[in-house]
Amino acid sequence: MTNSRWRMGGSTFIGILIMVVFLFPVYWMVKTSITPVTELYHNPPHIFPVGATFESYINNFVRNQDMIGYIGNSFIIALGTMVLSLLLAIPAAYALARLPIKGKGLMMISVLSIQMLPGIMMAMPLYIMFSKVQLIDNFAGLIFADLIHSLPFAIITLRPFFLALPGGLEEAAMIDGCNKFSSFTKIILPLVMPGLMTVAVFCFLFGWGDFIFALTLTTSNSVRPLTLGLYRFIGQYGTEWNNLMAVATIAALPIIVIFISMQKYVVGGITAGSMKD
Amino acid sequence: MSHKSAVNGNRGQSRGAKWFSSWNNYLFVVPALIFMIVFIGFPLLYNLMLSFQNVNVYNLSGKHDFIGLSNYVKSLKDPVFYTALQNSAVFTVLSIFFQFTLGFALALFFNQKFPGRNLFRSLMLLAWMLPVVISGTIFQWMMSGDFGVINYFLQTLGIIDQPINWLSEGSTALLSTVVANIWIGIPFNMIILLSGLQGLPEHLYEAAKLDGANRLVQFRHITLPLMRPTILVLMILGIINTFKVFDLIFIMTAGGPVNSSTVLPIYAYQLSFTTLEFSQGASVSMIMFLILIVISIGYLRMSSKEEVH
Repeated sequence: MTNSRWRMGGSTFIGILIMVVFLFPVYWMVKTSITPVTELYHNPPHIFPVGATFESYINNFVRNQDMIGYIGNSFIIALGTMVLSLLLAIPAAYALARLPIKGKGLMMISVLSIQMLPGIMMAMPLYIMFSKVQLIDNFAGLIFADLIHSLPFAIITLRPFFLALPGGLEEAAMIDGCNKFSSFTKIILPLVMPGLMTVAVFCFLFGWGDFIFALTLTTSNSVRPLTLGLYRFIGQYGTEWNNLMAVATIAALPIIVIFISMQKYVVGGITAGSMKD
Repeated sequence: MSHKSAVNGNRGQSRGAKWFSSWNNYLFVVPALIFMIVFIGFPLLYNLMLSFQNVNVYNLSGKHDFIGLSNYVKSLKDPVFYTALQNSAVFTVLSIFFQFTLGFALALFFNQKFPGRNLFRSLMLLAWMLPVVISGTIFQWMMSGDFGVINYFLQTLGIIDQPINWLSEGSTALLSTVVANIWIGIPFNMIILLSGLQGLPEHLYEAAKLDGANRLVQFRHITLPLMRPTILVLMILGIINTFKVFDLIFIMTAGGPVNSSTVLPIYAYQLSFTTLEFSQGASVSMIMFLILIVISIGYLRMSSKEEVH
């Protein structure tokens, strides 16, 4: 079997090459963030770090505290999007999967269609509506806007998890003295924990990564998230790429942490959310 | 929607059946439904209404006149609209073509068994999970004219002689955003296609091998036909999602220089939030929406057809 072992080794080698090429932009972000200013405009550029320094991190997160505010706002928006999406989507997905209600087909088609709405199409009417009810520059306004995409996603992704549970669970729970709501919370929900984790991760990511609503529905830095902070930073600092990349790296950090710790939920979520009906 | 309600299978006059079909089932969907009516349905109708009126930043709080299709006529007469439409088409077609072919090649590669496969596969997803603002900023830096690393690579390889200002030249700006978008989309395509590949029945390939079919023949006559449903859905989803890309282009070029990378969502943004012609912007959104509806009807038709099979 040495032949197949050679082939497997060869595949691993090609795999490493693919990774090196494909993940180069991520490497370049981190590498630039620790490059000293004097090195930044070195021609030709050094591919590996020379004279690495954490200067740009200290500049942007210790000396200047603006970014800390953006990070806090990002967490509030992402967590809010996650919690509210789950609160609304869990019962809805459950009912659409397991309870006899009228208009299921229509509801599923609406939820599917909402996913295709362009963000900019929602941003403009929301901007006018929100300015009339003081939801501009407001965490709640941003969270509601982010829910436009995360809520349909959450319903579509959760529904198959409820469908996959065996029938008759609720009847059994009822015999044991549960009512409709307690059988849902005590018996059903614990069984779909993996699905809830997947949806929680993705709704957090939606909230963390949002740009278009942060751009259009805020007017001051008090509620702006890190994505917008990064964008405004490009305008202010122009070509100080080490500073920009330090901010980008910090903005990417929660994603990388979530990605490493929640990997199996992430992969499951992509295939479930996009392909199932 | 072919699944039967799991608990509804238990027919008869048992207490369970009666219990389950009561009005309070609707309590489960009402919160989500109210949210969607208020924050999605209402803005959509409002957008539709705006597109038939003459609302801009100056008369926002005053009275508005109903002006019929004038906004649509005006949009359809604007040369920038056609530039944006064409750019959207180029952006979508090129992105989808390369995301799909490269994603498929990688899916076939990662469908083999070798050490490190799972690690590599999930590492690739990282690129897809990064907020688009971050990916866009990274590519903006890599593609910068003076010190960008892409110019350095291309010059070292002898592909170009002089550094190119990828993002500030009209001839390359749109293509540069396409390259970044391909990078973002490859992992998604790969994962979906890979999960499709892993669901294919092994025994067909074994039978084909016995019949002496080589890999290429196997791919053409087993893999491609069986992957058809996955490929169709992936294509339609890809088209819808690529057509509405805003963040990436806004970050990298903001539609410039001189509209050379303006796609429809950027054009709608400029009308609504830069020149503050709300009604005009609404009409462009509606045209975009109509295009997406046509594509989505194709999607729903195909997926319902696939479900029957």
